[in-house]
Amino acid sequence: MKSKGINKFLSDNAGFFFVLPWLIGFILFKVYPFASSLYYSFTNYDLFSGVTKTGFMNYNKIFTDSDIRRAFMVTFKYAIIDVPVKLTFALFIAYILNFKLKGVNFFRTAYYIPSILGGSIAIAILWRAVFNTDGLINTVIGAFGAEKINWMASANGALTVIILLRVWQFGSAMVIFLAALKGVSEDLYEAASIDGAGKWTQFFKITVPLITPVIFYNLITQLCQAFQEFNGPFLVTKGGPNGATTLISILIYNNAFLRHKMGMASAQAWILFLIVMTFTAVAFVSQKKWVYYSDEDGR
Amino acid sequence: MRKIKQWTAMGLATVMAMSLSACAGSKGGTSETTSAAETSKAAETTSAAASNTTSGEPVELKFSWWGGDSRHAATEEAIKAFTAKYPNIKVTPEYGAWTGWEEKQSLNILGGNAADVMQINWNWIDSYGQGGKSFANLEDYSDVLDLKQFSPESLELCKLDKKLMAVPISLTGRLFYWNKSAFDEVGVAIPTDLDSLNKAGEAFKAKDPDMYPLAVGEYDRMILMVYYLESKYGKNWVDEGQISYTEEEVKDGMDFITGLEQKHVIPTLATISGDMADSLDKNAKWIDGKYAGIFEWDSSASKFKKALEGSVNKPNQEFVLGDFIKMGNNNGGFTKISMAYAVSSSSKHPKEAAMLIDFLLNDEEGVKLVSTERGIPCSTEGLKILQDNKLGDPLTIEANTKVMGYSKFTLDSKFEHNDLKANPDGVYYKVFGKLSAGEIDSKQAASDLIKGVTDTLEN
Repeated sequence: MKSKGINKFLSDNAGFFFVLPWLIGFILFKVYPFASSLYYSFTNYDLFSGVTKTGFMNYNKIFTDSDIRRAFMVTFKYAIIDVPVKLTFALFIAYILNFKLKGVNFFRTAYYIPSILGGSIAIAILWRAVFNTDGLINTVIGAFGAEKINWMASANGALTVIILLRVWQFGSAMVIFLAALKGVSEDLYEAASIDGAGKWTQFFKITVPLITPVIFYNLITQLCQAFQEFNGPFLVTKGGPNGATTLISILIYNNAFLRHKMGMASAQAWILFLIVMTFTAVAFVSQKKWVYYSDEDGR
Repeated sequence: MRKIKQWTAMGLATVMAMSLSACAGSKGGTSETTSAAETSKAAETTSAAASNTTSGEPVELKFSWWGGDSRHAATEEAIKAFTAKYPNIKVTPEYGAWTGWEEKQSLNILGGNAADVMQINWNWIDSYGQGGKSFANLEDYSDVLDLKQFSPESLELCKLDKKLMAVPISLTGRLFYWNKSAFDEVGVAIPTDLDSLNKAGEAFKAKDPDMYPLAVGEYDRMILMVYYLESKYGKNWVDEGQISYTEEEVKDGMDFITGLEQKHVIPTLATISGDMADSLDKNAKWIDGKYAGIFEWDSSASKFKKALEGSVNKPNQEFVLGDFIKMGNNNGGFTKISMAYAVSSSSKHPKEAAMLIDFLLNDEEGVKLVSTERGIPCSTEGLKILQDNKLGDPLTIEANTKVMGYSKFTLDSKFEHNDLKANPDGVYYKVFGKLSAGEIDSKQAASDLIKGVTDTLEN
């Protein structure tokens, strides 16, 4: 009788038991750190001296310290420029690679390689070799008699260097776009051609509307990644010159692991989280206006 | 249906964002717990330390250090010799490059996972000492570690709460080094005072606007400015936990640095950033003689020399040690303990760990093998062994002797605190970066520097 009851309980809750290991991990390694970081953000928690003070001092400092505010602004600028440029470029290349060209598989692989390499030391060295004052770009433009560019002499030049690094790693977004493009029926293009629509019209009136769910997905994931970018500026520009490429992630890293000021690092991480959350929420709300889900009522 | 889908997607996005943003908190929570455990464990092992003996029972030690390839090779040889001498002791080395080393080791200290013997920076005693709980008191092991070989002053600098947290390996100071070949090419003498330094700037500019007689980064500028101030005003930078200089005097120092840029003695920080080099010794302009001088620690100069010797574009360049540039009536500059050996308070075999330190610093075999890989030894016996056997890099020995005889100012242990020295958000980086970019004037720079340093000293 008892074992029957246990069996029934197990069978009724089988789904729950299947997800239980994940749930335990999620609570221990995600929810708990997430909640505790919120608490620590209101303290002066230092790994070596513990908590000696609580209050809003970290948030006060974030909103009053011009260098921290600047880091948030640089991060904002970086994400706002990087994401549209990267998505546009990825879509453009995916569109080209969707044509039936000779050796297209080779190009698909070649364009994906930078994404596999990621933000590694080797890539940092490569990027420096390309952009330093005696680097590849200056050598090329020098051959045409142009003046050398010191990319690191201005805030915008330095930011361009690290934005281009992320844009260059467009492969993963490109592959997702490519899969979406393959899903667009050829019939639609044929019908449009018969009606006299050119390639541009077909692209903007057929292709883009039909892949908006994928554009939306790429937008959200790229936005989250761009706001949390760390490797590029840390390895290539070290946040310089004069803080021009100091993204908030670098400040979080320095506070957490160099100075062990977890309270301040948590507060900065929370502000970053709220910014990412706001952008994500805006994107979700705005999708009603521009994302086309074909499985429902046309929107 | 659509609403449910949207809310589900929104919920998933929240979870995803939580997953991405939670790492700082995760570290914090875990470390607090381990910190408490570490503290109690440390207390237990420290009290048990005195009773440990080298009875011949098998002992396993971990020894951690950072450095370059030659230091790694020399230290591994020394470990082999040590384990041959004490067959019951097995030593596992843990080494790597400096980048990221401090972050890793500080968390190891906090988590009770630190190596038994650690090569540490002098300021770690203050930063990670936890009031004397992180490292074993080496005075407890003076029977196996000969502390008489070290001057009482140098040992005093390694104490925290009256406990000896580490023994100094070497002392170091900053000196001027020059690429003599570049000066010969420009046709100007190597500088010995401010006038000749400024004249060199003019000559280098006339030869090639991309050439400079001296190159200094943000942190180097801070040290050079302190050298200038000490030379001119004859005061330590910090005395009894307070900056000894007025805002007007620090402004004078800032004007001095700006003047060097304006007179083409040093490149702007934007110019150095534009080179996109990891460090000055890896900068192509240093390697090819466009930057012809450095103001560097005696213990680090050899890598600049090697970089010059490895130049493909300009082979056979001559790297020389210069005189101290006179900038006032006093001998400016300070010396500091470049690094030290400490024993983790969580070590189960602190006595054997102390024996390893003694072997590396005082034993003839160990000293000969390690030579000047960590600078000129502080240990009297260690130095004597090197001198008797004519060992060590002659340039390092010459430079160390020179700076120890010249620079007499003292350094506050917080001078290298990460609130000040960290790149890119340490006070030194921010102040000198803004000054060089023209974002702030020298008065503002002086005020910002004093405020930043004072905050660090008070905290």
